[in-house]
Amino acid sequence: MSEFIQYTLQGLAAGGFYALSALGLAVIFGVLGVVNFSHGACYMLGAVISAVLLAELDLGFWPALLIVPVVMFCFGVLMERLLVRWLLALDPLYNFLLTFGLTLVLVEAVKMRYGVSGLPYEVPAGLGGQVTLGSVSLSTYAIFACVFSVVVCVAVGLLITRTRIGMIVRAATEAPERTRALGINVGRWVTPVFGFGIALAGLAGVLAAPTRAITAEMGSNFIIILFAVVVIGGLGSILGAVVAGFLVGLVEAYGIAYAPAYAQIVIFVMMALVVLVRPSGLFGREEIA
Amino acid sequence: MSEPAPKPAPKPEPDRAPVAAPARRHTPMLEVTGMSAWYGEARVLTDVSIEVAPGEVVTLVGRNGAGKTTLLRAVMGLHRQLQGSVVLDGVELTRASADRRARAGLGWVPDDRGIYASLTVAENLLLPPVVHDDAWSLERVYDFFPVLHERRDFPGTKLSGGEQQMLAMARVLRMGSRLLLLDEPSEGLAPVVVERIGEIIRAITAAGVGVLLVEQNVRFASTVADRHYLLAQGRVELHVAGEEFRARESELLTHLGM
Amino acid sequence: MRSRKIHGSLAIAASASLALAACGGAGGPQSGGSSGLSDGKVVIGLLNDQSGVYKDVSGPNSGVAIQMAIDDYKAKYGDKAVAKTIELVQADHQNKADIANSKAQEMYDRQKADVILDVPNSAAALAVATQAANKKKLYINISAGTTALTGAKCNKYTFHWAYNTGVLARGTAGAITKGGGTTWNIVYPDYAFGQDMNKSFTAQVQAAGGTVGQSIASPFPSDNFATFLTKAGEGNPKVVGSMHAGGDLINFVKQFNQSPLKGKVTLAVGLMFITDIHSLGLDQFAGTQFTDAWYWNFDAQNRAWADRFKAKTNVRPSFANAANYSAAMNYLEAVQAAGTDNADKIVAQLEGKKINDVFLRNGEVRKADHAVVHDVYLAKVKSSASEDWDYEEILKTIPAAEAYGPANPACKLG
Repeated sequence: MSEFIQYTLQGLAAGGFYALSALGLAVIFGVLGVVNFSHGACYMLGAVISAVLLAELDLGFWPALLIVPVVMFCFGVLMERLLVRWLLALDPLYNFLLTFGLTLVLVEAVKMRYGVSGLPYEVPAGLGGQVTLGSVSLSTYAIFACVFSVVVCVAVGLLITRTRIGMIVRAATEAPERTRALGINVGRWVTPVFGFGIALAGLAGVLAAPTRAITAEMGSNFIIILFAVVVIGGLGSILGAVVAGFLVGLVEAYGIAYAPAYAQIVIFVMMALVVLVRPSGLFGREEIA
Repeated sequence: MSEPAPKPAPKPEPDRAPVAAPARRHTPMLEVTGMSAWYGEARVLTDVSIEVAPGEVVTLVGRNGAGKTTLLRAVMGLHRQLQGSVVLDGVELTRASADRRARAGLGWVPDDRGIYASLTVAENLLLPPVVHDDAWSLERVYDFFPVLHERRDFPGTKLSGGEQQMLAMARVLRMGSRLLLLDEPSEGLAPVVVERIGEIIRAITAAGVGVLLVEQNVRFASTVADRHYLLAQGRVELHVAGEEFRARESELLTHLGM
Repeated sequence: MRSRKIHGSLAIAASASLALAACGGAGGPQSGGSSGLSDGKVVIGLLNDQSGVYKDVSGPNSGVAIQMAIDDYKAKYGDKAVAKTIELVQADHQNKADIANSKAQEMYDRQKADVILDVPNSAAALAVATQAANKKKLYINISAGTTALTGAKCNKYTFHWAYNTGVLARGTAGAITKGGGTTWNIVYPDYAFGQDMNKSFTAQVQAAGGTVGQSIASPFPSDNFATFLTKAGEGNPKVVGSMHAGGDLINFVKQFNQSPLKGKVTLAVGLMFITDIHSLGLDQFAGTQFTDAWYWNFDAQNRAWADRFKAKTNVRPSFANAANYSAAMNYLEAVQAAGTDNADKIVAQLEGKKINDVFLRNGEVRKADHAVVHDVYLAKVKSSASEDWDYEEILKTIPAAEAYGPANPACKLG
C-alpha cells in the first residue's frame, strides 16, 4: 500500500510539471490555432539558457526563473512576427511544418554551439534531498517543481478567467471572427499571447534544468508526451491541459510501477482511448473535433 | 418573461409608414453601393445597393441562398471576396477591418446569436468596447432585460434561444452600435418571444438606431420594417415600402418563390 | 502538380548530394609511389557519429587523433615509409545502421578506403562488419560495444579494438560484487544495447557470487526516472546499476541524486565516457564506479599524448579518441611491415600481435576472435578535480585476461 502511495505521489509530482509544460502549447493552440511543434525546442532553450546563465554569468536557478521567461517571451514575439504570422491565414498544417522545421534548426544550432553531451546544472541550494513521511519519500525538488507548476497554472487560470485580457483571450479562442466583429482587434493580442506561450515553455525548461539532462535533444521526446497531454485534455483547453498533465503523470508512474517497459505506451493507449470516446478530448469543445 | 417598462417608451411614431415606396426619412446612415461578392468562382451578390436611415428598420427578404447573410457579413467586413463600398455616417469603411467597423458603430447579431460559451452572460455583455456616448449602461441593459440580470453569472450558452437572442442584441446596444445588423432574430423562437423582439426593435429605433434586418419570417418582418429590399439570386429585385409590402404580400412572396 | 514539384526537388537534392559525394570522394588520383599499395595510397576511413549523441565521445575529434597517427607514422619512417600518401576520409553515420551500411560501401568502393575505423552504435558496427567481409577490406571497430563482433558475427577482416559490453560487465559488475556489493538491482534501456548490457551484467554479478534482485526495463528514451528509482530501491540492494547512455544516463543520475538512494547504495554505471562526467559535472557523478578502457591522466605516457591532443582540440581525449589513434597507428605499422595495403596480408600481420602503446597495455590482437584484449580499469568519479577533466580515480587495473575472458567459441574465423 505504501508503495502505491509512493507511486501516486511521484505521478502527481511529475503531473504538475507536465501540466505547466503543456500549458503554453494549449494557450497557443487555443488562441492562434497553431500546433506549435517547436514547444519542445523552446523548453530545451529554456533549460540551455539557464545553464548558460549559470556558466557564463554565474546567475543561478532563482534569477533564471525570472530571466528565462522574459528572454523566451521576446523570442516568441520575434518568432510570431517574423514567421508564424505569415502562415496564420493558411491551413494550420503550414505552421505545424514551419515550427517543425524551426525545431530542427534550434536543435542543430544548440548542438553546434554547446555539443551533444549536455550542460551541467545543480539543484538549487535547499531543494536537494528528500522529504520522507513514514515509508513514503519524495525528492524535495520534485515537490517544489510540482507546487511551483500548480501555482503558475492557477495564476494563468486566474489571468484567463478573472481579467479583461483573459476574457478577450477566451472570446478570441472560441470565435475569432465574431470577436473581431465585436470591435476587438484580435490580431493585436496574437503576438503577446504567442510570446506568453513560448515563455511558459521556457519556464518549464528552467524547472527541468536541475533534474533532467540539458541537451539539444531534451525536448524531442518530451514534446511527444506534451502532445499526448493536450490531446487528452482537449486541444486548446487550459483546464484540460492541467487535468491531463496530472492524469498522464499518474498513468506513467503506475505504468512504470507495474509494467515498466510499457510506461510510455500506456500514455498513448490512454490518449487513443480518450480520442475514441471523446474526439475533442476531456475538456475540448465539440466543434473542434 | 415579464414586461419591464423601457425607459424610452417604444411608442410607434404616427408618421411611421413612408409616403412613397423607395423613400426614406433622413439622409442615410448606412450606404452600401454596388456590392458584389463571390465564394470562390461563384458569384453570390451582384451590384447590390441599399441604404438605412437613422431610426429606420430595413429588411432584406428573400429565400435561402439569396445572399442575405453574405450581404450582412460583407457589410461587417467578414467577407473578403467582394467589390463595392460601405459608408457609415459618412465614414468610408470599405477597406476597414471588422473590428474597426464595429468600433465605427456597426453591431452584428449573427443568426446563431454568437453567444460565447466560455464567457458568462455578464462577460458576454462586457466584452465589446463601448464605442459611442449613447451606449447603454449595464444597468440599463439589466433594467430592460431583467432575465439577463438574473442569469448574469451563467455561461452564455446556458440561456434559452430567446434569451440568447436578447443577450446578443443587448451586447451591441451596450457597445453603443448605431446600426444593428440583425440576422434572422426570430428564427426558432416562440411567437410570444418574437413579439417581444419586435418591441425591442421598435424601442431601439425610437432612439435613432438603424436596423438592417434579414428575415425569413415575412409576417414578423412586415410588422417591424419601414422598407424592404427583396433579394433573389444575389440581386435586389424589388425595393418597397412597408405598406405596399403588406398590401402585396402574397403576390411578392410568390414572386420570390417563398 | 504538387507531388511533381516535390519529386523535382527531391531529384535535385539527390543529384546535388551525389555530386558532393563524388567531389569528396575523388580527391584526384595520385600517381602511385610504391608498388605495394593499391592505387598508390593508403586511405583510412573514419565512419562515426559526427552530429548526434556520440559526437563528443568519438566524433570529429577521433579524426584529429587519426591524423596524429598519420603524422607520427610519417615522422617515424620518413623516406622509408611504405605509405607515402595517406588520406583520411570521414563520414557521419548519424547512428543509423542503414546509413552506416551505405556510407561504408561508398568508402570502400568509391573512396577506395583500405580500412574503416570506429563506428559507434552496435547495429551500425555489425552492418559495416558485413560490408568488410563482403569487400575483403579491413574494419577496426572502436566505439561500438557489442560482443557479436567477436562472437557469432565475427569475420576475418573485422577487429574490435577498445572494449565490449562483456568487458564492462566483468570489470564493473565483477569488481564491485567482489568488493562487497553483492545485491544488485539493474535498470536498463529497452533496446538491443541495454538488453545486452543487462544480460552481461547479471551474468557477471552472479559469477562473482552476487544476486540481481530486479532487472527493470525503461522505455528509450526516458526523461522521468523517479518511479524507476523507487522500484530500483525495492529490496534494499547494495548496488543500483544503470545501463543507460547519453541523455538517459544523465537523467538517471540527476534523479538518482535527488532520490533517497543517494548515499545509501552504490551507483554503478554500465557504460560511461569521460565526456558524460564533463557535461554533467563532478558533483552529480561523484562516487560512481565504472569500467574505463583508458584514462588520459593514468600515467605520464597517457598524459603526454593527451597534451598533444589537447593542443589540437582544446579538450582531453576520451578512450575512443585514444583507441582510434592506436588502431590507425597499428594499421600503418602493419602496412609498413607487410610492405603492402593488401587486406589479407595486413590481417596476417595483425593476428596474434602483442602491442604496448599509448592505448593498449599488455595488448594482444587475439587470433581466435580478433578481439584486441588489453588491461582495463575500474574507475571511480572523484569528488573534486585538481584541473579540468581530472575526473577519475583509478581504483584497480583489471588485467586483460580477466577483463576479456576466453575467446568466444561462437566465433569461427575462416
